[in-house]
Amino acid sequence: MIATAIQQLLNAAQLGAVYALIALGYTMVYGTIRLINFAHGDIFMLGGFVGFLLVSVIPGLPVAVMIPLAMFITAMIGVMIERVAYRKLRNAQRMSLVITALGVGIFLENLVRILVGPQARQIPAQLPNKVLKLGGGVVITEDKILVILISLALMVILWVFVNRTLIGTAMRAVADNRDAVQLMGVNLNLIIATTFAVGSALAAAGGIFFGQAYSIDPYMGIDLGWKAFIAAVIGGIGSIEGAVIGSFLLAGVEVLTVAYLSSNLKNGIAFGLLIILLLIRPNGIMGRAELKKV
Amino acid sequence: MSILEIKGLSVSYGAIKALEGIDLRIEEGEIVSLLGANGAGKTTALRAISRLLPIQGGDILFQGKSITQVPVHGVVSLGIAHVPEGRGVFPSLTVQENLKLGTWANKRKSAIPDLRQEVYRIFPRLEERKTQLAGTLSGGEQQMLALGRAMMTDCRVMLLDEPSMGLSPLFVKEVFRVIKEINATKGTTILLVEQNANMALKIAHRGYVLETGNIVLEGTSKDLAHDPRVKEAYLGHQ
Ligand SMILES: Nc1ncnc2c1ncn2[C@@H]1O[C@H](COP(=O)(O)OP(=O)(O)OP(=O)(O)O)[C@@H](O)[C@H]1O
Ligand SMILES: [Mg+2]
Repeated sequence: MIATAIQQLLNAAQLGAVYALIALGYTMVYGTIRLINFAHGDIFMLGGFVGFLLVSVIPGLPVAVMIPLAMFITAMIGVMIERVAYRKLRNAQRMSLVITALGVGIFLENLVRILVGPQARQIPAQLPNKVLKLGGGVVITEDKILVILISLALMVILWVFVNRTLIGTAMRAVADNRDAVQLMGVNLNLIIATTFAVGSALAAAGGIFFGQAYSIDPYMGIDLGWKAFIAAVIGGIGSIEGAVIGSFLLAGVEVLTVAYLSSNLKNGIAFGLLIILLLIRPNGIMGRAELKKV
Repeated sequence: MSILEIKGLSVSYGAIKALEGIDLRIEEGEIVSLLGANGAGKTTALRAISRLLPIQGGDILFQGKSITQVPVHGVVSLGIAHVPEGRGVFPSLTVQENLKLGTWANKRKSAIPDLRQEVYRIFPRLEERKTQLAGTLSGGEQQMLALGRAMMTDCRVMLLDEPSMGLSPLFVKEVFRVIKEINATKGTTILLVEQNANMALKIAHRGYVLETGNIVLEGTSKDLAHDPRVKEAYLGHQ
Protein backbone atom coordinates (compact mmCIF):
# COMPACT_ATOMS: atom_id res chain seq x y z
CA MET A 1 0.00 0.00 0.00
CA ILE A 2 2.63 2.50 1.06
CA ALA A 3 5.00 1.01 -1.47
CA THR A 4 2.58 1.70 -4.33
CA ALA A 5 2.05 5.21 -3.04
CA ILE A 6 5.79 5.89 -3.07
CA GLN A 7 6.00 4.32 -6.49
CA GLN A 8 3.28 6.66 -7.71
CA LEU A 9 4.98 9.68 -6.18
CA LEU A 10 8.18 8.84 -8.03
CA ASN A 11 6.22 8.55 -11.27
CA ALA A 12 4.63 11.90 -10.52
CA ALA A 13 8.05 13.43 -9.84
CA GLN A 14 9.32 12.25 -13.21
CA LEU A 15 6.31 13.59 -15.08
CA GLY A 16 6.40 16.79 -13.02
CA ALA A 17 10.05 17.29 -13.94
CA VAL A 18 9.20 17.10 -17.64
CA TYR A 19 6.26 19.48 -17.20
CA ALA A 20 8.48 21.89 -15.30
CA LEU A 21 11.17 21.89 -17.98
CA ILE A 22 8.51 22.98 -20.48
CA ALA A 23 6.58 25.28 -18.14
CA LEU A 24 9.71 27.28 -17.37
CA GLY A 25 9.95 28.35 -21.03
CA TYR A 26 6.36 29.57 -21.04
CA THR A 27 6.88 31.49 -17.85
CA MET A 28 10.20 33.04 -18.86
CA VAL A 29 8.98 34.29 -22.21
CA TYR A 30 5.81 35.59 -20.60
CA GLY A 31 7.90 37.17 -17.86
CA THR A 32 9.91 39.23 -20.32
CA ILE A 33 7.70 40.04 -23.30
CA ARG A 34 4.25 39.13 -21.99
CA LEU A 35 3.74 36.60 -24.80
CA ILE A 36 2.13 33.23 -24.29
CA ASN A 37 4.36 31.41 -26.72
CA PHE A 38 1.96 28.78 -27.98
CA ALA A 39 4.70 27.31 -30.16
CA HIS A 40 6.66 26.35 -27.06
CA GLY A 41 5.16 22.86 -26.80
CA ASP A 42 6.42 22.25 -30.33
CA ILE A 43 9.89 23.41 -29.38
CA PHE A 44 9.77 20.69 -26.72
CA MET A 45 8.86 18.26 -29.52
CA LEU A 46 11.72 19.57 -31.68
CA GLY A 47 14.11 19.06 -28.78
CA GLY A 48 13.10 15.41 -28.59
CA PHE A 49 13.70 14.98 -32.32
CA VAL A 50 17.05 16.77 -32.20
CA GLY A 51 18.11 14.32 -29.49
CA PHE A 52 16.77 11.42 -31.53
CA LEU A 53 18.66 12.58 -34.64
CA LEU A 54 21.90 13.03 -32.74
CA VAL A 55 21.68 9.51 -31.35
CA SER A 56 20.85 8.07 -34.77
CA VAL A 57 23.46 10.00 -36.73
CA ILE A 58 26.30 9.64 -34.25
CA PRO A 59 26.00 6.17 -32.73
CA GLY A 60 27.75 5.88 -29.41
CA LEU A 61 27.50 9.61 -28.68
CA PRO A 62 27.73 9.75 -24.89
CA VAL A 63 24.57 10.98 -23.23
CA ALA A 64 26.52 13.62 -21.31
CA VAL A 65 27.38 15.19 -24.67
CA MET A 66 24.13 14.43 -26.47
CA ILE A 67 21.84 16.22 -24.04
CA PRO A 68 23.80 19.50 -23.84
CA LEU A 69 24.32 19.46 -27.62
CA ALA A 70 20.61 18.93 -28.28
CA MET A 71 19.81 21.67 -25.79
CA PHE A 72 22.18 24.03 -27.60
CA ILE A 73 20.80 23.25 -31.06
CA THR A 74 17.22 23.64 -29.88
CA ALA A 75 18.17 26.90 -28.15
CA MET A 76 19.39 28.24 -31.50
CA ILE A 77 16.14 27.15 -33.14
CA GLY A 78 14.21 29.01 -30.45
CA VAL A 79 16.29 32.13 -31.03
CA MET A 80 15.68 31.87 -34.76
CA ILE A 81 11.93 31.56 -34.28
CA GLU A 82 11.90 34.72 -32.17
CA ARG A 83 14.06 36.55 -34.69
CA VAL A 84 12.02 35.54 -37.73
CA ALA A 85 8.46 35.34 -36.47
CA TYR A 86 8.09 37.46 -33.32
CA ARG A 87 10.55 40.34 -33.32
CA LYS A 88 8.81 42.43 -35.96
CA LEU A 89 5.55 42.08 -34.03
CA ARG A 90 7.00 43.04 -30.68
CA ASN A 91 5.12 46.33 -30.59
CA ALA A 92 2.06 45.08 -32.43
CA GLN A 93 -1.23 44.15 -30.80
CA ARG A 94 -0.96 41.27 -28.38
CA MET A 95 -3.45 39.24 -30.44
CA SER A 96 -1.27 39.31 -33.58
CA LEU A 97 1.59 37.86 -31.64
CA VAL A 98 -0.53 35.09 -30.12
CA ILE A 99 -1.93 34.11 -33.52
CA THR A 100 1.58 34.08 -34.94
CA ALA A 101 2.73 31.80 -32.13
CA LEU A 102 -0.11 29.38 -32.84
CA GLY A 103 0.86 29.48 -36.52
CA VAL A 104 4.50 28.79 -35.76
CA GLY A 105 3.44 25.79 -33.68
CA ILE A 106 1.33 24.30 -36.48
CA PHE A 107 4.16 24.98 -38.93
CA LEU A 108 6.67 23.11 -36.78
CA GLU A 109 4.37 20.12 -36.28
CA ASN A 110 3.81 19.78 -40.01
CA LEU A 111 7.42 20.41 -40.90
CA VAL A 112 8.54 17.56 -38.65
CA ARG A 113 5.74 15.30 -39.92
CA ILE A 114 6.83 15.89 -43.53
CA LEU A 115 10.49 15.36 -42.72
CA VAL A 116 10.27 12.22 -40.59
CA GLY A 117 6.70 10.97 -40.83
CA PRO A 118 3.94 10.85 -38.25
CA GLN A 119 4.90 7.63 -36.47
CA ALA A 120 5.98 7.54 -32.85
CA ARG A 121 9.58 6.61 -32.05
CA GLN A 122 11.49 6.02 -28.91
CA ILE A 123 14.85 7.61 -28.29
CA PRO A 124 17.06 4.55 -27.65
CA ALA A 125 17.88 4.25 -23.97
CA GLN A 126 20.88 6.40 -23.21
CA LEU A 127 20.69 7.01 -19.52
CA PRO A 128 21.70 4.02 -17.39
CA ASN A 129 18.51 2.14 -16.62
CA LYS A 130 19.28 -0.59 -14.20
CA VAL A 131 16.37 -1.49 -11.97
CA LEU A 132 16.95 -0.52 -8.38
CA LYS A 133 15.05 -2.17 -5.53
CA LEU A 134 14.45 0.30 -2.77
CA GLY A 135 13.19 -1.21 0.48
CA GLY A 136 9.58 -2.26 0.96
CA GLY A 137 9.01 -3.45 -2.59
CA VAL A 138 9.52 -0.04 -4.20
CA VAL A 139 11.17 -0.49 -7.57
CA ILE A 140 12.69 2.28 -9.64
CA THR A 141 14.95 2.48 -12.65
CA GLU A 142 18.11 4.56 -12.56
CA ASP A 143 17.02 6.72 -15.47
CA LYS A 144 13.93 7.85 -13.60
CA ILE A 145 16.05 9.03 -10.70
CA LEU A 146 18.50 10.69 -13.08
CA VAL A 147 15.71 12.52 -14.94
CA ILE A 148 14.41 13.88 -11.66
CA LEU A 149 17.86 14.89 -10.40
CA ILE A 150 19.08 16.45 -13.67
CA SER A 151 15.84 18.39 -14.01
CA LEU A 152 16.08 19.69 -10.46
CA ALA A 153 19.69 20.71 -11.06
CA LEU A 154 18.69 22.58 -14.24
CA MET A 155 15.98 24.38 -12.29
CA VAL A 156 18.41 25.44 -9.58
CA ILE A 157 20.87 26.70 -12.20
CA LEU A 158 18.08 28.63 -13.88
CA TRP A 159 16.97 30.15 -10.58
CA VAL A 160 20.48 31.33 -9.82
CA PHE A 161 20.89 32.70 -13.34
CA VAL A 162 17.65 34.68 -13.24
CA ASN A 163 17.89 35.90 -9.67
CA ARG A 164 21.57 36.32 -9.04
CA THR A 165 23.20 37.46 -12.29
CA LEU A 166 23.10 40.85 -13.97
CA ILE A 167 21.66 39.38 -17.19
CA GLY A 168 18.93 37.69 -15.15
CA THR A 169 18.18 40.99 -13.42
CA ALA A 170 17.88 42.68 -16.81
CA MET A 171 15.52 39.91 -17.94
CA ARG A 172 13.23 40.59 -15.02
CA ALA A 173 13.44 44.33 -15.66
CA VAL A 174 12.32 44.00 -19.29
CA ALA A 175 8.78 43.16 -18.22
CA ASP A 176 8.71 46.15 -15.84
CA ASN A 177 9.82 48.83 -18.24
CA ARG A 178 11.21 48.10 -21.66
CA ASP A 179 12.33 51.67 -22.36
CA ALA A 180 14.09 52.09 -19.04
CA VAL A 181 16.01 48.82 -19.49
CA GLN A 182 17.41 50.09 -22.75
CA LEU A 183 18.33 53.39 -21.11
CA MET A 184 20.57 51.34 -18.80
CA GLY A 185 22.48 50.26 -21.90
CA VAL A 186 20.86 46.84 -22.16
CA ASN A 187 20.44 45.50 -25.68
CA LEU A 188 16.81 44.41 -25.61
CA ASN A 189 17.19 42.00 -28.53
CA LEU A 190 19.99 40.21 -26.75
CA ILE A 191 17.98 39.77 -23.56
CA ILE A 192 14.91 38.51 -25.39
CA ALA A 193 17.04 36.14 -27.47
CA THR A 194 18.62 34.82 -24.27
CA THR A 195 15.17 34.21 -22.81
CA PHE A 196 14.13 32.16 -25.84
CA ALA A 197 17.44 30.30 -25.85
CA VAL A 198 17.21 29.28 -22.22
CA GLY A 199 13.53 28.35 -22.43
CA SER A 200 14.10 26.27 -25.57
CA ALA A 201 17.13 24.51 -24.10
CA LEU A 202 15.15 23.43 -21.04
CA ALA A 203 12.29 22.25 -23.23
CA ALA A 204 14.77 20.18 -25.25
CA ALA A 205 15.96 18.43 -22.11
CA GLY A 206 12.31 17.71 -21.33
CA GLY A 207 11.73 16.38 -24.85
CA ILE A 208 14.64 14.00 -24.60
CA PHE A 209 13.66 12.72 -21.16
CA PHE A 210 10.12 12.23 -22.36
CA GLY A 211 11.27 10.52 -25.55
CA GLN A 212 13.35 8.03 -23.58
CA ALA A 213 10.65 7.24 -21.07
CA TYR A 214 7.77 7.15 -23.56
CA SER A 215 8.04 8.16 -27.22
CA ILE A 216 8.26 11.14 -29.54
CA ASP A 217 6.03 12.09 -32.45
CA PRO A 218 5.36 15.37 -34.29
CA TYR A 219 2.24 16.10 -32.24
CA MET A 220 3.56 15.30 -28.79
CA GLY A 221 3.99 19.00 -28.07
CA ILE A 222 0.29 19.72 -28.18
CA ASP A 223 -0.86 17.70 -25.19
CA LEU A 224 2.31 18.16 -23.15
CA GLY A 225 2.52 21.80 -24.11
CA TRP A 226 -0.99 22.51 -22.88
CA LYS A 227 -0.36 20.65 -19.65
CA ALA A 228 2.85 22.55 -19.00
CA PHE A 229 1.11 25.79 -19.86
CA ILE A 230 -1.61 24.97 -17.33
CA ALA A 231 1.08 24.14 -14.78
CA ALA A 232 2.70 27.53 -15.39
CA VAL A 233 -0.62 29.31 -14.97
CA ILE A 234 -1.50 27.36 -11.82
CA GLY A 235 1.87 28.30 -10.37
CA GLY A 236 1.54 31.91 -11.45
CA ILE A 237 2.77 32.66 -14.96
CA GLY A 238 5.91 34.76 -14.95
CA SER A 239 7.16 33.11 -11.77
CA ILE A 240 9.90 30.50 -11.97
CA GLU A 241 9.13 28.98 -8.58
CA GLY A 242 5.47 28.95 -9.57
CA ALA A 243 6.14 27.01 -12.78
CA VAL A 244 7.99 24.32 -10.82
CA ILE A 245 5.39 24.07 -8.06
CA GLY A 246 2.53 24.04 -10.57
CA SER A 247 4.21 21.31 -12.61
CA PHE A 248 4.76 18.92 -9.73
CA LEU A 249 1.29 19.64 -8.39
CA LEU A 250 -0.37 18.93 -11.74
CA ALA A 251 1.68 15.79 -12.29
CA GLY A 252 0.82 14.60 -8.79
CA VAL A 253 -2.88 15.10 -9.36
CA GLU A 254 -2.74 13.32 -12.71
CA VAL A 255 -0.76 10.34 -11.53
CA LEU A 256 -2.92 9.88 -8.43
CA THR A 257 -6.09 10.17 -10.49
CA VAL A 258 -4.92 7.47 -12.85
CA ALA A 259 -3.74 5.25 -10.01
CA TYR A 260 -6.71 5.51 -7.72
CA LEU A 261 -9.64 6.67 -9.87
CA SER A 262 -9.54 6.24 -13.61
CA SER A 263 -7.30 7.34 -16.44
CA ASN A 264 -10.39 8.68 -18.19
CA LEU A 265 -10.67 11.33 -15.52
CA LYS A 266 -7.05 12.50 -15.83
CA ASN A 267 -7.54 15.49 -18.13
CA GLY A 268 -10.91 16.42 -16.70
CA ILE A 269 -9.44 16.65 -13.24
CA ALA A 270 -6.32 18.48 -14.42
CA PHE A 271 -8.30 21.16 -16.20
CA GLY A 272 -10.84 21.29 -13.36
CA LEU A 273 -7.99 21.94 -10.97
CA LEU A 274 -6.91 24.84 -13.14
CA ILE A 275 -10.35 26.40 -13.07
CA ILE A 276 -10.82 25.99 -9.32
CA LEU A 277 -7.35 27.27 -8.51
CA LEU A 278 -7.76 30.31 -10.70
CA LEU A 279 -11.09 31.08 -9.08
CA ILE A 280 -9.39 31.09 -5.69
CA ARG A 281 -6.10 32.65 -6.76
CA PRO A 282 -6.51 34.43 -10.11
CA ASN A 283 -2.77 35.13 -10.32
CA GLY A 284 -1.73 31.56 -9.56
CA ILE A 285 -0.03 30.14 -6.49
CA MET A 286 3.11 32.29 -6.63
CA GLY A 287 1.67 35.04 -8.79
CA ARG A 288 1.50 38.56 -7.50
CA ALA A 289 -0.99 41.06 -8.72
CA GLU A 290 1.02 43.26 -11.08
CA LEU A 291 2.58 46.05 -9.11
CA LYS A 292 1.09 49.30 -10.25
CA LYS A 293 3.47 51.39 -12.28
CA VAL A 294 3.72 54.75 -10.63
CA MET B 1 32.92 72.60 -27.99
CA SER B 2 29.55 72.10 -26.28
CA ILE B 3 29.06 68.76 -24.55
CA LEU B 4 25.60 68.44 -26.08
CA GLU B 5 24.30 70.28 -29.09
CA ILE B 6 20.99 69.89 -30.84
CA LYS B 7 20.58 71.37 -34.29
CA GLY B 8 17.29 71.74 -36.12
CA LEU B 9 15.82 68.66 -34.45
CA SER B 10 12.40 67.64 -35.76
CA VAL B 11 10.35 64.71 -34.53
CA SER B 12 6.87 63.63 -35.61
CA TYR B 13 4.40 61.06 -34.39
CA GLY B 14 2.84 60.04 -37.67
CA ALA B 15 1.28 63.20 -39.01
CA ILE B 16 1.65 65.08 -35.72
CA LYS B 17 4.72 67.29 -35.60
CA ALA B 18 6.00 67.36 -32.04
CA LEU B 19 9.29 69.22 -32.61
CA GLU B 20 9.70 71.56 -35.54
CA GLY B 21 13.43 72.07 -35.73
CA ILE B 22 14.75 73.09 -32.34
CA ASP B 23 18.27 74.21 -31.44
CA LEU B 24 19.79 73.67 -28.01
CA ARG B 25 23.34 73.96 -26.75
CA ILE B 26 24.63 72.78 -23.40
CA GLU B 27 28.12 73.44 -22.10
CA GLU B 28 30.00 71.03 -19.86
CA GLY B 29 29.13 71.49 -16.18
CA GLU B 30 25.98 73.51 -16.79
CA ILE B 31 22.48 72.99 -15.53
CA VAL B 32 20.16 73.95 -18.37
CA SER B 33 16.40 73.95 -17.92
CA LEU B 34 13.92 73.21 -20.67
CA LEU B 35 10.58 74.73 -19.73
CA GLY B 36 7.21 74.42 -21.37
CA ALA B 37 3.55 73.64 -20.84
CA ASN B 38 1.92 70.23 -21.23
CA GLY B 39 2.39 68.90 -24.72
CA ALA B 40 5.09 71.41 -25.67
CA GLY B 41 7.43 68.60 -26.72
CA LYS B 42 9.84 68.42 -23.77
CA THR B 43 9.64 64.65 -23.30
CA THR B 44 9.85 64.18 -27.05
CA ALA B 45 13.12 66.13 -27.09
CA LEU B 46 14.69 63.98 -24.36
CA ARG B 47 13.48 60.73 -25.91
CA ALA B 48 14.95 61.80 -29.24
CA ILE B 49 18.31 62.57 -27.63
CA SER B 50 18.49 59.16 -25.99
CA ARG B 51 17.42 57.56 -29.28
CA LEU B 52 14.16 56.11 -28.01
CA LEU B 53 12.45 58.00 -30.82
CA PRO B 54 13.45 58.20 -34.47
CA ILE B 55 14.08 61.72 -35.71
CA GLN B 56 12.84 63.27 -38.93
CA GLY B 57 15.51 65.90 -39.28
CA GLY B 58 18.41 67.71 -37.67
CA ASP B 59 21.33 66.43 -35.68
CA ILE B 60 22.31 65.59 -32.12
CA LEU B 61 25.95 66.08 -31.26
CA PHE B 62 27.64 64.75 -28.13
CA GLN B 63 31.12 66.22 -27.68
CA GLY B 64 30.99 67.29 -31.30
CA LYS B 65 30.09 63.87 -32.69
CA SER B 66 26.71 62.98 -34.15
CA ILE B 67 24.93 60.27 -32.18
CA THR B 68 21.94 59.83 -34.46
CA GLN B 69 23.26 56.45 -35.64
CA VAL B 70 23.87 55.12 -32.13
CA PRO B 71 21.27 52.54 -30.91
CA VAL B 72 19.30 53.30 -27.74
CA HIS B 73 21.39 50.94 -25.67
CA GLY B 74 24.57 52.60 -26.87
CA VAL B 75 23.73 56.06 -25.60
CA VAL B 76 24.38 55.49 -21.92
CA SER B 77 27.86 54.13 -22.51
CA LEU B 78 28.70 57.40 -24.27
CA GLY B 79 28.00 59.11 -20.95
CA ILE B 80 24.39 60.23 -21.29
CA ALA B 81 21.92 59.02 -18.66
CA HIS B 82 18.21 59.63 -19.11
CA VAL B 83 15.85 59.63 -16.13
CA PRO B 84 12.54 59.28 -17.94
CA GLU B 85 9.20 60.87 -17.23
CA GLY B 86 7.49 58.84 -14.49
CA ARG B 87 10.93 57.81 -13.15
CA GLY B 88 11.20 54.46 -14.88
CA VAL B 89 12.30 52.46 -11.85
CA PHE B 90 11.81 48.68 -12.06
CA PRO B 91 9.03 48.03 -9.54
CA SER B 92 9.54 44.27 -9.27
CA LEU B 93 13.26 44.58 -8.57
CA THR B 94 14.78 45.59 -5.24
CA VAL B 95 16.40 48.97 -4.72
CA GLN B 96 19.81 47.29 -4.88
CA GLU B 97 19.00 45.51 -8.13
CA ASN B 98 17.76 48.77 -9.67
CA LEU B 99 21.07 50.42 -8.79
CA LYS B 100 22.99 47.42 -10.08
CA LEU B 101 21.33 47.67 -13.49
CA GLY B 102 22.60 51.24 -13.59
CA THR B 103 26.11 49.79 -13.80
CA TRP B 104 25.32 47.63 -16.85
CA ALA B 105 27.14 49.89 -19.28
CA ASN B 106 29.65 51.25 -16.79
CA LYS B 107 33.06 50.22 -18.07
CA ARG B 108 34.97 51.29 -14.97
CA LYS B 109 33.97 48.31 -12.82
CA SER B 110 36.46 49.31 -10.14
CA ALA B 111 34.62 52.61 -9.66
CA ILE B 112 31.30 50.94 -8.86
CA PRO B 113 31.73 50.49 -5.07
CA ASP B 114 32.62 54.18 -4.74
CA LEU B 115 29.66 55.20 -6.87
CA ARG B 116 27.37 53.09 -4.72
CA GLN B 117 28.73 54.66 -1.56
CA GLU B 118 28.20 58.10 -3.00
CA VAL B 119 24.61 57.26 -3.96
CA TYR B 120 23.94 55.97 -0.44
CA ARG B 121 25.57 59.08 1.05
CA ILE B 122 23.33 61.40 -0.97
CA PHE B 123 20.26 59.20 -0.51
CA PRO B 124 20.59 57.48 2.88
CA ARG B 125 17.02 56.31 2.53
CA LEU B 126 17.96 54.09 -0.41
CA GLU B 127 20.50 52.29 1.72
CA GLU B 128 17.92 51.74 4.47
CA ARG B 129 15.58 50.25 1.90
CA LYS B 130 18.05 48.46 -0.33
CA THR B 131 16.35 45.08 -0.12
CA GLN B 132 12.85 46.51 -0.56
CA LEU B 133 11.04 46.21 -3.91
CA ALA B 134 11.16 49.50 -5.77
CA GLY B 135 7.44 49.26 -6.45
CA THR B 136 6.76 49.62 -2.74
CA LEU B 137 8.70 52.89 -2.41
CA SER B 138 6.93 56.22 -2.17
CA GLY B 139 6.95 58.47 -5.23
CA GLY B 140 9.69 60.64 -3.79
CA GLU B 141 11.83 57.65 -2.90
CA GLN B 142 11.37 56.27 -6.40
CA GLN B 143 12.58 59.56 -7.85
CA MET B 144 15.66 59.33 -5.65
CA LEU B 145 16.21 55.77 -6.82
CA ALA B 146 15.94 56.91 -10.43
CA LEU B 147 18.51 59.64 -9.80
CA GLY B 148 20.76 57.25 -7.91
CA ARG B 149 20.54 54.70 -10.69
CA ALA B 150 21.54 57.37 -13.21
CA MET B 151 24.54 58.22 -11.01
CA MET B 152 25.60 54.56 -11.11
CA THR B 153 26.08 54.85 -14.88
CA ASP B 154 28.94 57.25 -14.19
CA CYS B 155 27.49 59.64 -16.76
CA ARG B 156 28.74 63.04 -17.87
CA VAL B 157 25.28 64.29 -18.82
CA MET B 158 21.94 63.64 -17.12
CA LEU B 159 18.65 64.20 -18.90
CA LEU B 160 15.98 64.66 -16.24
CA ASP B 161 12.31 64.60 -17.24
CA GLU B 162 10.17 66.38 -14.66
CA PRO B 163 11.87 64.96 -11.58
CA SER B 164 9.57 66.97 -9.30
CA MET B 165 6.35 65.72 -10.85
CA GLY B 166 3.80 64.49 -8.33
CA LEU B 167 6.00 65.02 -5.28
CA SER B 168 5.12 66.75 -2.02
CA PRO B 169 6.66 70.22 -1.55
CA LEU B 170 9.23 68.81 0.85
CA PHE B 171 10.40 66.20 -1.62
CA VAL B 172 10.40 68.74 -4.44
CA LYS B 173 12.85 70.87 -2.48
CA GLU B 174 14.97 67.82 -1.70
CA VAL B 175 15.08 66.69 -5.32
CA PHE B 176 16.21 70.11 -6.55
CA ARG B 177 18.81 70.31 -3.78
CA VAL B 178 20.20 66.93 -4.83
CA ILE B 179 20.32 67.87 -8.51
CA LYS B 180 22.31 70.93 -7.59
CA GLU B 181 24.61 68.84 -5.41
CA ILE B 182 25.27 66.27 -8.15
CA ASN B 183 26.10 69.09 -10.53
CA ALA B 184 28.34 70.89 -8.05
CA THR B 185 30.24 67.94 -6.59
CA LYS B 186 30.56 65.69 -9.65
CA GLY B 187 30.44 68.30 -12.37
CA THR B 188 27.67 66.39 -14.09
CA THR B 189 26.02 68.39 -16.84
CA ILE B 190 22.25 68.47 -16.47
CA LEU B 191 19.41 69.06 -18.91
CA LEU B 192 16.41 69.59 -16.69
CA VAL B 193 12.90 69.39 -18.13
CA GLU B 194 10.44 70.99 -15.75
CA GLN B 195 7.02 72.50 -15.42
CA ASN B 196 8.01 73.86 -12.04
CA ALA B 197 9.73 76.84 -13.67
CA ASN B 198 10.10 78.62 -10.39
CA MET B 199 12.33 75.97 -8.85
CA ALA B 200 14.07 75.05 -12.11
CA LEU B 201 15.19 78.62 -12.74
CA LYS B 202 16.56 78.80 -9.19
CA ILE B 203 19.10 76.04 -9.78
CA ALA B 204 19.71 76.27 -13.54
CA HIS B 205 22.34 78.47 -15.13
CA ARG B 206 20.44 78.91 -18.36
CA GLY B 207 17.12 77.92 -19.82
CA TYR B 208 15.05 77.42 -22.93
CA VAL B 209 11.31 77.78 -23.30
CA LEU B 210 9.54 75.36 -25.61
CA GLU B 211 6.09 76.09 -27.03
CA THR B 212 4.28 73.63 -29.32
CA GLY B 213 7.46 72.25 -30.79
CA ASN B 214 9.46 75.46 -31.08
CA ILE B 215 12.00 77.21 -28.86
CA VAL B 216 10.48 80.63 -28.23
CA LEU B 217 12.86 82.01 -25.62
CA GLU B 218 16.31 81.34 -24.28
CA GLY B 219 18.63 83.02 -21.86
CA THR B 220 20.20 82.95 -18.43
CA SER B 221 17.90 81.86 -15.64
CA LYS B 222 17.99 85.38 -14.24
CA ASP B 223 16.86 86.92 -17.52
CA LEU B 224 14.17 84.29 -17.99
CA ALA B 225 12.87 84.76 -14.45
CA HIS B 226 12.39 88.46 -15.15
CA ASP B 227 10.95 88.04 -18.61
CA PRO B 228 7.32 89.16 -18.58
CA ARG B 229 6.26 86.32 -20.88
CA VAL B 230 7.83 83.69 -18.62
CA LYS B 231 6.34 85.34 -15.54
CA GLU B 232 2.93 85.36 -17.11
CA ALA B 233 2.93 81.84 -18.53
CA TYR B 234 5.12 79.78 -16.22
CA LEU B 235 5.75 81.49 -12.92
CA GLY B 236 2.17 82.17 -11.93
CA HIS B 237 1.36 85.05 -9.65
CA GLN B 238 4.07 84.81 -7.07
N1 LIG C 1 3.28 58.39 -28.69
C1 LIG C 1 2.71 59.51 -29.20
N2 LIG C 1 1.89 59.44 -30.26
C2 LIG C 1 1.33 60.54 -30.78
N3 LIG C 1 1.53 61.78 -30.31
C3 LIG C 1 2.33 61.92 -29.24
C4 LIG C 1 2.96 60.80 -28.63
N4 LIG C 1 3.70 61.24 -27.59
C5 LIG C 1 3.52 62.57 -27.56
N5 LIG C 1 2.72 62.99 -28.56
C6 LIG C 1 2.32 64.38 -28.84
O1 LIG C 1 3.49 65.14 -29.03
C7 LIG C 1 3.40 66.39 -28.40
C8 LIG C 1 4.53 66.59 -27.42
O2 LIG C 1 4.42 65.65 -26.38
P1 LIG C 1 5.47 65.55 -25.19
O3 LIG C 1 5.14 64.35 -24.41
O4 LIG C 1 6.83 65.67 -25.74
O5 LIG C 1 5.12 66.85 -24.34
P2 LIG C 1 5.71 67.36 -22.97
O6 LIG C 1 6.21 68.70 -23.18
O7 LIG C 1 6.64 66.38 -22.40
O8 LIG C 1 4.38 67.43 -22.08
P3 LIG C 1 4.15 67.11 -20.52
O9 LIG C 1 4.61 68.31 -19.78
O10 LIG C 1 2.68 66.93 -20.41
O11 LIG C 1 4.92 65.89 -20.18
C9 LIG C 1 2.02 66.41 -27.75
O12 LIG C 1 1.15 67.11 -28.60
C10 LIG C 1 1.64 64.97 -27.64
O13 LIG C 1 0.24 64.82 -27.75
MG1 LIG D 1 6.62 65.20 -20.73
